[in-house]
Amino acid sequence: MNATGLVLGLAAALAIVGALLAVGLRNILHNILGFALSQVGLAGLFLTLGSDFLAVVLILVYVGAVAIAMVYAVMLSHPMDVAPVPRSRLKTAGAAVLALVVAAALWLLVRGAAFPPPSGPLEVLAGVTGHRLVSDYVLAFELISVLLVIAMIGAVMVARSFHGHRARTVGSAPAAAGAPAADPGVGAGEAAR
Amino acid sequence: MTTLHAYLFVAVVLFGIGLCGLMLRRSLIAMLISLELMLGAASLNVVALTSLSGASSSVGQVVALILIGVAAAEAAIALSLFVAIQRRAHSIDVEDLSELKG
Repeated sequence: MNATGLVLGLAAALAIVGALLAVGLRNILHNILGFALSQVGLAGLFLTLGSDFLAVVLILVYVGAVAIAMVYAVMLSHPMDVAPVPRSRLKTAGAAVLALVVAAALWLLVRGAAFPPPSGPLEVLAGVTGHRLVSDYVLAFELISVLLVIAMIGAVMVARSFHGHRARTVGSAPAAAGAPAADPGVGAGEAAR
Repeated sequence: MTTLHAYLFVAVVLFGIGLCGLMLRRSLIAMLISLELMLGAASLNVVALTSLSGASSSVGQVVALILIGVAAAEAAIALSLFVAIQRRAHSIDVEDLSELKG
């Protein structure tokens, strides 16, 4: 019990410190590293709840995939040599106060609520979860896979179509490329009327 | 303070930090990071409540797994959109993206 409490405290501290780094630091790459740290802490919290499979999936997906994808997006998009303009102190204080008020209200709500005690001992096995995933919740499981395929194809399409657009406009004169693109649209609209 | 409340407190703190970051930061990627922190707080809530209070805990795990899947799809779409926006507008600072501002 004491060891569990120690792990809980450590994981909670990791999650919160990582989140603070992810939000507070100015360098976007440091933000991403803080985010990964926070997800590792969150996985530790899941581990103390007996959800070992969930913890592994969280680390694989967030630290292994999402954080790396974010680094790629930063390298493709962020101008690293331009220093960010500091936010005005008034706006910083306003955001902090508003977030604090929302968090305090949520905490009061949670503290006041009466939660029923657990119906049985804490026993979570990856096998039970996996069995439920392919029996009771098979529809949600399949929909998630469809969603992931659509998201993957959509991501490729979105990232590519703009590239093609730019290549076309760079190839010909920008003004000449814009005018023929607008004309068929107007003509089609008038023909429909 | 019970063990359940410790988990819920961590979730509330994570949610507050994410909310603060979402309002404070102007880079789209930093805003996405804050959003993911808030989603993590929500899934921690679901898992903690189903594990330590009442219901069967594998339901919470299934919900959290689906949440992670949806968040991953959302991150993939969002990051590709950021790259496309950067190509068009040469900036992913939200204050530069004001074409529709009246």
